[in-house]
Amino acid sequence: MSPSPSSHPTPPRWATRLLEWYCAPELLEEVQGDLLEEFLLRCRHDGPRAARRDYVRNVFEFMKPFAIKRKPTSNPILPMNLLRHYFTVALRQVLRHKAFSAINVIGLAMGMTCCMTIFLWVIDEQAVDNFHAKGDQLYNIYMTVHARSGNQGSYNTPRNYRDNKTYLVVDDAKTSIPEIKGMAFYATGYSLPWGHPETFQVGDKKHKLEGSRASADFFTMFSFPILAGDANTALKDLSSIALSRKMAVLFFGSPENAIGKSIRYENKIDFQVTAVFEDLTPHTSWKFDFLVNWESHMTRMDWASGIMQTTLLLSEGANVEDVTHKLNVFVKSRLDKDQPFSVTLGLQPFRDQYLKANFTDGKPSGGRIEYVRIFSGVAVFILIIACINFMNLATARSVKRAKEVGVRKVIGSPRHYLIGQFFGESLLLSFLALAVSLVLLQFLLPLFNQVTGKHIVAPITDGFTWLGLVGLAFVTGIMAGSYPALFLSSLKPVNVLKGVVQFTQNAIWFRKGLAVFQFGLSILLLIATIVVSQQTSFLQHMNLGYDKENLFYFPIEGELAKYDKFQALKQKAAQLPGVMMVDRSSEAPHAMGFVVDEDDGVAETQNPDDTAIKWEGRDKGSMVGFKPTSVGFDFVKLMNLDIVEGRDFSRANATDSADAFLVNEQAVKEMGLKDPIGKWVSAWQKKGHIIGVLKDYNTNSLRERIRPLIVDVKEYEYFGVILVRTEAGKTREALAGLEKIYKEINPNYPFDFRFVDEEYNKMYRNEQVMTKLSNAFAALAIVVSCLGLLGLVMFSAEQRTREIGIRKALGATVANIVGLLSQDFVKIVALSFLVATPIAAYLMHQWLNGFAFKIDLSWWIFAFAGIVALCVALLTISFQAIQSARANPVDSLRSE
Amino acid sequence: MKRVYLGEFEEIVLLVVAVLDGVAYGVNITHEILEQTQRSVRLNQVHASLQRLEEKGMIVSKMSNPTPERGGRRKRIFTITAYGSNTLKDIQQVRASLWNAVPPTLKSAHA
Repeated sequence: MSPSPSSHPTPPRWATRLLEWYCAPELLEEVQGDLLEEFLLRCRHDGPRAARRDYVRNVFEFMKPFAIKRKPTSNPILPMNLLRHYFTVALRQVLRHKAFSAINVIGLAMGMTCCMTIFLWVIDEQAVDNFHAKGDQLYNIYMTVHARSGNQGSYNTPRNYRDNKTYLVVDDAKTSIPEIKGMAFYATGYSLPWGHPETFQVGDKKHKLEGSRASADFFTMFSFPILAGDANTALKDLSSIALSRKMAVLFFGSPENAIGKSIRYENKIDFQVTAVFEDLTPHTSWKFDFLVNWESHMTRMDWASGIMQTTLLLSEGANVEDVTHKLNVFVKSRLDKDQPFSVTLGLQPFRDQYLKANFTDGKPSGGRIEYVRIFSGVAVFILIIACINFMNLATARSVKRAKEVGVRKVIGSPRHYLIGQFFGESLLLSFLALAVSLVLLQFLLPLFNQVTGKHIVAPITDGFTWLGLVGLAFVTGIMAGSYPALFLSSLKPVNVLKGVVQFTQNAIWFRKGLAVFQFGLSILLLIATIVVSQQTSFLQHMNLGYDKENLFYFPIEGELAKYDKFQALKQKAAQLPGVMMVDRSSEAPHAMGFVVDEDDGVAETQNPDDTAIKWEGRDKGSMVGFKPTSVGFDFVKLMNLDIVEGRDFSRANATDSADAFLVNEQAVKEMGLKDPIGKWVSAWQKKGHIIGVLKDYNTNSLRERIRPLIVDVKEYEYFGVILVRTEAGKTREALAGLEKIYKEINPNYPFDFRFVDEEYNKMYRNEQVMTKLSNAFAALAIVVSCLGLLGLVMFSAEQRTREIGIRKALGATVANIVGLLSQDFVKIVALSFLVATPIAAYLMHQWLNGFAFKIDLSWWIFAFAGIVALCVALLTISFQAIQSARANPVDSLRSE
Repeated sequence: MKRVYLGEFEEIVLLVVAVLDGVAYGVNITHEILEQTQRSVRLNQVHASLQRLEEKGMIVSKMSNPTPERGGRRKRIFTITAYGSNTLKDIQQVRASLWNAVPPTLKSAHA
């Protein structure tokens, strides 16, 4: 209340506000003035109470049409009225046809969810190796070896001998090629990252971790954050090692604590911690928990493989082609000219090493990028399918909307207003779908992460994401609304209002074509799913030529590298309950990577003819890439291998360990031997005779063909793995017993065992992920397509309500009517099957070509896909058709 | 052309505007009508009438200069147009001639 009501009475403020709110602005001033004047007069005569009452009364009395604010009648720049009208009409349409709207929204939402998930995945894939600050200047060297057997490419670097020392031929290229500002070497194993974990020790703490070796420039070229120590000197000294935060905490409690401390490697070498780097994110294709100085790698450590990757830091604006040329000139002068092969180097942006790491004919050609492309395509396809639903339903319903269009046109609506109206409707639906799909995404992402092994989080706090999402909804809306908007708005009002909405044959074909396209895509995806999952299960269950069940292995290391300890373990282990057989092999038998004498461009010797493996009757200069392995006497029995010719190794034969070799059938073929048994073979220093031929078995993943294999026998070797075959069902028991023995004999090393079947399956992780994803996508595509079909059937049934009524009244059975309604759609499915099959066959053929061992594309896969599509379609159709067919004709005919 | 129809209340408002020659606005018109006719008139009715009269072209309006009273708000001052005053005269004449035709007995009875 005002402090002195008698001297300065004021009208109730709320009433004034009310007046200001409703009153037309051009009248407000005079009305307000009049009311105030009147109020003051009344105050003087009747007192403020009465005056206020009168004021309020006046305010309410002024709520008359002449005084009330009106919306601006037109706005030439932005027709807000019109926009609001579009959405009002759209909303009414949505609410009136609930089933159609639901089908549209659910279909679109599924498509969008799928699209978003894949989009997030693609972004995540592209982020890998793409976060380095100098990323634009980083290039990997890849090496192409041109040999008689073809061109081979890899991320390797040519090496040579000088002064009895192996060196990388590019290691001083920095001095002669000015564009090269930095050069980092990084060693990898045959199976990334290193092949096997290595053991570290500080005091009593002992852990196995995987890491690698890298050269001094490594941390200055790449942006791996350094937590402690100096990036410039991290790997400078022979004894320097850099640890990850995880490893530093594991051994020293904190990153700072670790600096300067000593850590023992494989109980052989002591390293000094010079730097600690942040744990690697999932966005790094290299995986390492430690990095050891490069000189140590070259001079005093075991190699996991001969693969040494070189990354160059080029000066800004350097011409990559020039540098490549200079590099080749540089290397050519330093490589031996009389090798049976030649080597060229190429440069590939470092960021491509994750997505484009496959080599064809010696050049980088795709890789994971293909999965990225395939799935991006699938995402777009599914979105298109969902959009087609929308277009189809809208077109089908256009018979009803046509009248509306006619009336609007007669009243004077220009065509672009109508286009706007239909776009308004589709945009409304697509934004609804966006909302639904965002909710779906929240539920699906954890599942998706589980399947793909990623850590994707929906970046909902990012402004760009929202911009993208709104963009997606907008594009979808426009895409989905385009046909009805452009087609319906073109109808001639005269025809429409006369009642003859004749769709041209073209329009009908268009609609059917869309449905065919949609179902074709679904069938395509379905076939792809079947093929991929068949192939994956084929790979996992194929007879590899050996028995991978109940078989595990662990590395020979530490004390086990000594003969007596090795023997003690072997003998004790063989007596354990549950253990059937124990023996050794120089490599894990399911993933043998080492190939000798291959034309791999790495000259280890001076004379080209001085190959590691020679045999009787060999043509001079002929090379066969052998997989050499050295095994124990029981290996063949332990692995359950078949011998096709000759005999197995035998302890009874005194000469075997010095003289005997086994080869496989492929080796016999490639060596060109007619009668292999008894022929002499020499491998490195050892010369002996072939005593038997093994039936071919797979020594690596089934992407690789079976390669020549040469096996010799040694009771003992200081490296490799120990293989243990257990009795079925007693593996747990055997492991428990073995661990005890292992701890006694090799106390400095953790017992690190792996099952062959599990490790084998891990090699097909990509395929497994593909299978799961394509299952999901195919299911999604079918569901979305069927939603569309359901919508069309519902519509067609609604259109023919009277026809059905009359037919029933005249005696048609339910089956007749269902048949009548289904006919058209069955034709659509059949046609789409015919269209999709050849395309699917071609695509799947291409995909299967990437495997050395593959399933046949038999007819039943296609037939099955077709039948499934047909059944699902029929099921969907009958859902509505039966309902319509069973309706009482009285109800449908009464409306006439 | 037939002249525009004028309602009874509109006629009174128009007359008052003419009476208040040059200073007529919502409040004083209302009070004038109150005093002259003893009818309980509300401001909003007057405003509505004024608007209709203006639409019919009987009066014109313009905003006054602002004064400290009414919180500095301007008034809308109404003045009668020639068409408005002609209309009033017409009405007056019709009434007068009709009144003359009324039988004398009736005139004196109420006089």
